[in-house]
Amino acid sequence: MIFEERQVEKNNFSSRAVFLFAIVGAGFLLVLFQVFALQVYSYSSYELAALNNKNYSVPIQPLRGEIFDRNGEAIVRNQPTFDLITQPDLIDNPEVFLKLIKPVIHLSAIEEVQYLKKFKEKAFVNKELVLKKNLTSEEIARFNVRSFGFKNVFIDKRYRRLSDYPEIFSHVIGYTSRSDNQYEMSMDIPRSHWVDAELIYANGLIQGKTGIEETYNQHLSGQHGKRIYERNSRGRLVQPLEYNPSRKGLDLHTNLDIKAQMSAARSLGNRKGAVVAIDLKHGGINVLYSAPSYSINKLSNGMSVEEFSSLISDPNKPFFNRASQGRYPPASTIKPAIGMFGLTNKLINWIDEVDDPGYFTLPENGRIYRGWKEGGHNNVNLKKAILVSSNTYFFKLAYRSDMIDLSQYLSSLGFGDQVCGDCYDEDGAFLPSPDWKYRNLNVPWFTGDTVNIGVGQGYLVATPLQLANYISIIANKGKALIPSIAKEDQAISKIDAPKDITLSNQNWRKMHDALTGVIESDYGTARSIRDLKNFQAAGKSGTAELVSLDSKEAYLEIRDTELLRDHSIIVAFGPMPNPQYAVSVVIENGESGGAVAGPVAIEVLKSLLNDE
Amino acid sequence: MMNKLTKIYFDPYLFFSILILSTFGLFFLYSASNGEISIVIKQSIYLGLGFAIMILTSQADPDLFRRTSLLFIIFSISLLGITFLLGPEINGAQRWVRMGSFSFQSSELLKLALPIFLANFLFDKKLPIQSKEIFISLVIIFAAFFLVARQPDLGTGLIVALSGIFVLFLSGLSWSFIGGAFVILIISSPLIWNSLLQPFQQQRIATLFNPNSDPFGAGWNITQSKIAIGSGGIFGKGFGEGSQTQLNFLPETKTDFIFSVIGEEFGFIGVFLLLAIYFFILMRCLYLALSARDRFCRLVIGGISLTFAANLIINLCMVVGLLPVVGMPLPFISKGGSSLISLFFAFGIITSMGTHKKFLPQ
Repeated sequence: MIFEERQVEKNNFSSRAVFLFAIVGAGFLLVLFQVFALQVYSYSSYELAALNNKNYSVPIQPLRGEIFDRNGEAIVRNQPTFDLITQPDLIDNPEVFLKLIKPVIHLSAIEEVQYLKKFKEKAFVNKELVLKKNLTSEEIARFNVRSFGFKNVFIDKRYRRLSDYPEIFSHVIGYTSRSDNQYEMSMDIPRSHWVDAELIYANGLIQGKTGIEETYNQHLSGQHGKRIYERNSRGRLVQPLEYNPSRKGLDLHTNLDIKAQMSAARSLGNRKGAVVAIDLKHGGINVLYSAPSYSINKLSNGMSVEEFSSLISDPNKPFFNRASQGRYPPASTIKPAIGMFGLTNKLINWIDEVDDPGYFTLPENGRIYRGWKEGGHNNVNLKKAILVSSNTYFFKLAYRSDMIDLSQYLSSLGFGDQVCGDCYDEDGAFLPSPDWKYRNLNVPWFTGDTVNIGVGQGYLVATPLQLANYISIIANKGKALIPSIAKEDQAISKIDAPKDITLSNQNWRKMHDALTGVIESDYGTARSIRDLKNFQAAGKSGTAELVSLDSKEAYLEIRDTELLRDHSIIVAFGPMPNPQYAVSVVIENGESGGAVAGPVAIEVLKSLLNDE
Repeated sequence: MMNKLTKIYFDPYLFFSILILSTFGLFFLYSASNGEISIVIKQSIYLGLGFAIMILTSQADPDLFRRTSLLFIIFSISLLGITFLLGPEINGAQRWVRMGSFSFQSSELLKLALPIFLANFLFDKKLPIQSKEIFISLVIIFAAFFLVARQPDLGTGLIVALSGIFVLFLSGLSWSFIGGAFVILIISSPLIWNSLLQPFQQQRIATLFNPNSDPFGAGWNITQSKIAIGSGGIFGKGFGEGSQTQLNFLPETKTDFIFSVIGEEFGFIGVFLLLAIYFFILMRCLYLALSARDRFCRLVIGGISLTFAANLIINLCMVVGLLPVVGMPLPFISKGGSSLISLFFAFGIITSMGTHKKFLPQ
């Protein structure tokens, strides 16, 4: 090549080389710009991401608050038990390990399979795994002697939710069960971390499912703690960095009375029914019992599938809370309310008498409504009508009543709606009105319907809780309180405060007098329970008919079928003349109210008054 | 006149900047391997060997490389062929040929052999170079690319092809030809995407544009690398203190992603200094190319140093999330025997081409 040509070539090369190196320089700038964007501009978000990678927060389960009765005795408590816990990451071969431990601790086939199933996953993330729950003291002793051979196994305390009265408080207290969804709400720990929670209950993450365990779940739950671990990219926890202890839930003090609840259960025996007792001073629910029942201990701490399904399919419905969900015709126990309605609306007074031939003929169509006693009670005034439970008197009074007004009046006494402030899943039962009947049954309200309401039959149904609430308003001379299971200072109320019922003092006195006579006088329908106690009591018994029949003979025929027999009901309060407690008792298919339900009510009152 | 026997061909700028770079690299590697000293010892042995090779290589006269260029490329290609036939499969790709105790990535040699061969082919051709010469060059480039890409290692294949294209471009390829080729490339890109790229390669490119679509799969590496670099901030977390690195969130810390380790532990300042050293090396290469004694040396220095630059920038862009993940080490710092040895060999050639002068014009 000649010199000029070489010069041209060199220049050509130089410009092209500079061009390519300029592109390289641009590449450097691009990288530098991107690194600047990452490290300076978006630093905080990447710093956070790196921290999130590094830290793994694990919740620590808090102890749940305990539940006490009104005398400070525990109804539900946390019972420590001892579990055998292993650290799978320290165990090389789980099969060999099980072979070694089996002579020391007895393991069922199911426990072995469960253990092996979970082993690999737990070993990988460095978590502990329970080998056997609820060790006996013998097993603990046997293990402790040999523990030097098992560096990867230890015994630790785990709690169980236990009641010393597992059967009698089932419906009111309710049970807890394993549940993870409540923790979705917690903001400081991601939801997925809850599977690694440090548990202190043998049954895992528990939550109130029914009863006041559910109503007061928040109160009882406490605050979970937190342990933050440094973690590597394989999910293995390297070392703990931070620890916040959990806070135990608050204890719940209730108005329930263990002794009275026990006496309700005892006197009800194996009959189906419900008992509710209310403290007249505060409206506290002292007794809320439904039979048959089930064991909350078993439900809270694990029950076999067979046991559970046999409870579910039991025709006696043990899960059904008859006290707050059972719908029963109030029968004659409604009569004081009808009488109060008549007095308020000046339809009757205490003096005027009515002829009771034993039946009432509806003027419109001649239909006959019978009383419980053949031949009737002759001339009856309001007091006598209550004492002897004259149907005719109240048929006639109801006949003269306006159903819309009567319906409103019964509503103000708590019928047809929830009355309890903190009961779980309470049923409002049913209070009929003309409007309802027309809209739902497409038939107008007949005066005959009102006549039925007059004796607590027909469409009207109430729960034992409503009956107890209603009779406590009467016992308190019109003062309406919200019945509540928890003590005042802790109670929450799901319902609005009810209005008081106004009636003159004289009327109240006479009403109390009449209701006292039901039990204490020689003519009272519940006089058979008069001598069961050392104090005076007031009340009204009732016999709820399940089948509407025209004659006693017809009833004797159906009586053979137990489930068609009348329900036995009583509402009562005492001691008179200054009552402290009101109680309602319903015994399914128990027949005659005074004689059957009456003694149960008296036992409960006695127990509440410490008069046994 | 200087005594020819005592003359040592040596470029202090290149030598010391590479020494600084690779010495710091040992510290980075120590941190990246969670303090495993044996890896660092092995690496320093390779470094020592590398510097020896570099100094030895730079003593050879450029004419030696020119005369042996055909032999060199035939040797490289046959090594590749042996790999293709016998090489063990590592991660589904046959790139390694085992030579005694260490594996040698055979395509590394081709990155040097191809530009030297093309420089020898083109250095005495008249300007502008003719279509016949372009055609022959392109056939050779494509053959080399095809051999490497079939392994399959598309990334290295592209680098090999680039090393040839750089020489072709620097030797005076006409601009109209470049423009035409560029248009054809763009038009045929859908065809390349569908027929040439393996599904996993398509996945990597797709992941680049949306790493969050699969944060625990293909996007994991990019996401974790960005977190590592980003969380380093301006000053870094300190030597051995990078949680992303030390807790193994970062993948491939010792090889492809060692830049992220530097970014996390030494921050923006560390990155800036590192890039400055690399840039200085490249500028020195440009200077040597411009002042080289003849066209052959210019083309070789240009081709090899630009290949080095492409290698570097691809790695950087990959770890900062600007390019899809391809296996490409960070020169002089990433762990690895064969890439280090061939790098030192390359800079030995550059030094040789840049320091051998002819005092008399031809």
